[in-house]
Amino acid sequence: MIRRGTATDGLGILRFKNGFQIKISNLFAGLGLAMAAVLLAVYSLQIGLTKTGISDFLAIFVGAELSDAKVYALIDVRLPRILVGFMVGWAVALSGAVLQSLARNPLADPGLFGFSQGSMIMIMLLLIVVPLAPKSLVALAAVAGGLCVAGLLLWLVGGGRSSGLAIVLMGIAVETVLSSFGTLLILYLPPETSLALSEWLAGSLFQANWSLIAAFLPLHGHLVSGILIAGRLLPAYDLGNEMAMALGEPVARSQPLLLLFAVVLSAAAVTAVGPLMFLGILAPHIAAFLSPATGRARLVLSGLTGGILVVAADTLTRGVAVGLPMPLGLSLTIIGVPLFIIALRLQALRKFQSH
Amino acid sequence: MRHLVFSFIAAMLVTGPVWADERLVSDDTGREVLVPRQPDRVVVMHEPLLGLPLMDLGIEITGSYGRADDGSFVIAVDFIDTVLGEGRPKPRGFGPFGQPDLEKLRALEPDLIVATELDAGKLDQLASVAPVYLQNVSSAKVHGIEIQDDLAALVGLTEVFNSRKATYLERVSSLRETLPANSAGLTYLPVFLTDQLNVVGNASGMVQALEDLGFIRLNVDETSKLAAGGGSMMLMPLSAEAFGRLNPDLLVLLNSYTEDDRGETGTRAKLDRIVPGWQQFMKPNLENRILFVDPAKVITPTLASANHMLDAFESWTLKSR
Repeated sequence: MIRRGTATDGLGILRFKNGFQIKISNLFAGLGLAMAAVLLAVYSLQIGLTKTGISDFLAIFVGAELSDAKVYALIDVRLPRILVGFMVGWAVALSGAVLQSLARNPLADPGLFGFSQGSMIMIMLLLIVVPLAPKSLVALAAVAGGLCVAGLLLWLVGGGRSSGLAIVLMGIAVETVLSSFGTLLILYLPPETSLALSEWLAGSLFQANWSLIAAFLPLHGHLVSGILIAGRLLPAYDLGNEMAMALGEPVARSQPLLLLFAVVLSAAAVTAVGPLMFLGILAPHIAAFLSPATGRARLVLSGLTGGILVVAADTLTRGVAVGLPMPLGLSLTIIGVPLFIIALRLQALRKFQSH
Repeated sequence: MRHLVFSFIAAMLVTGPVWADERLVSDDTGREVLVPRQPDRVVVMHEPLLGLPLMDLGIEITGSYGRADDGSFVIAVDFIDTVLGEGRPKPRGFGPFGQPDLEKLRALEPDLIVATELDAGKLDQLASVAPVYLQNVSSAKVHGIEIQDDLAALVGLTEVFNSRKATYLERVSSLRETLPANSAGLTYLPVFLTDQLNVVGNASGMVQALEDLGFIRLNVDETSKLAAGGGSMMLMPLSAEAFGRLNPDLLVLLNSYTEDDRGETGTRAKLDRIVPGWQQFMKPNLENRILFVDPAKVITPTLASANHMLDAFESWTLKSR
């Protein structure tokens, strides 16, 4: 049923009867990351004012009576933050990984293409006009903003057959314009409105609750099918549009679909916690350092890394920086950037030694 | 008679909540909220705009967003000290700005959370701890000390508010009688100095006092355009060029909270840096029509701030004579 073989690069590989195959190194990396995510979640469960943690959490399942404060801390505050943080990190990292393959550029992420800014500005405009807008409307605005930017990008670069570099360059231009407009809005809005928007722009998991998770879950379900489809297409795009076409990939149809997939992921994350800049670049690179992969394996490893980074950042915000105003975006940078630098440095050393 | 007794009992049963400790109110966004009749553990999401008006009415605030765990305030000025006087107990915080801590908030055991309409995005989470009342604070929606009037009604202290307002209005009348000229219809413009010039919004004791004295706000084109969505404390930034052309009958200048010297000397020095040479060409300065006030005392939407403004105005008129 499962056969062990050797891939073309000499690494061990597991081949399933239905044709599915996975490199053993990727499998171990995935299991390691999943284990790290669970350990981090356990640690994160005990961070907070109320003295409680994993033992109390497990006790709930055997019918133990806990105080209201403990149940509130575990079930209403900490667990939703962990789950939403993981889902959001997973979504942004996946979006970044897809865009990097599409653009054939390791710097591509939803922020660089202006998708996050498009969603952000649409949400800001909505909240200015309708401060009490329901969450569903905010999510729609975010997707609409991201899609408008994606449509504009495709139109500006001349449709689905355009090269990855053209999309990146045009994305930077669009992102710059949108960021300037966002700054203008923040500067010239009344201070109270600016402050409220700035809090959201800085990123926070404060909004995490079970209704947000319920709204996010269907999307996360679709991610699985998205990974299966996009993961199959991406190795061809990694070789460039012309080669993808030569391999029989209908680029004119699949490229907009992949962009749509990336936009929806990014918009969902922006709606939930605000823009998480740089995560779309960080996570795929750190995942690639742990275990170089392509296609579906790359998406899964990137997603796991993204989820871990966001949960770790939130744990830092709640645990270490108690009382300090440390937004999620900042703690994500504090954790992610050193890891990113170490990964790149070790990768460079590895290449240097192999030559 | 029996019919009357039955009717009375039926009425008592139907209006049962009258006896309960809670009542249903509509907040400023139209939500219906069940709030305690006499809340005694109130938490506010904006201390100067919501906490001070309640404290001024005699309510001790349990928690305030933006305060540290030890009760210290997030900015240089502690409005409780400057507006209400030192020595009052300080509310406790529940997380820094941008990161309200729900566990800390719950530990404060609030029975009412008062938030601004701009906190609507936090509503679901805050409501998991206690009933949340959303109060309008934007300039387009509230004026002068209306926030305090609204909050007095919310916590059942309307009579206290009305009695204090009556005393305040008596003071306004007597002050108007002592003025050398009728101030009715004269224009005023309050400008707050940070690293730029900002027109001050409508919701403050300062504005209430000036308008009760008969002044009307100078209609600056730029302010009228943006006022619709304006903030309560700062309405809009004002360019130095536009500022130099203005000529209100009374220019009110307020130096930033971060400055140690918020009196005339410090404010003049600050304005010199933003609009060099203004003292030579601005008419309100040449004709001694500038009132320098400490924003830390007059900017909250409270009767206490309105009284501070009357103090400042009174001493200015005495000095000007």
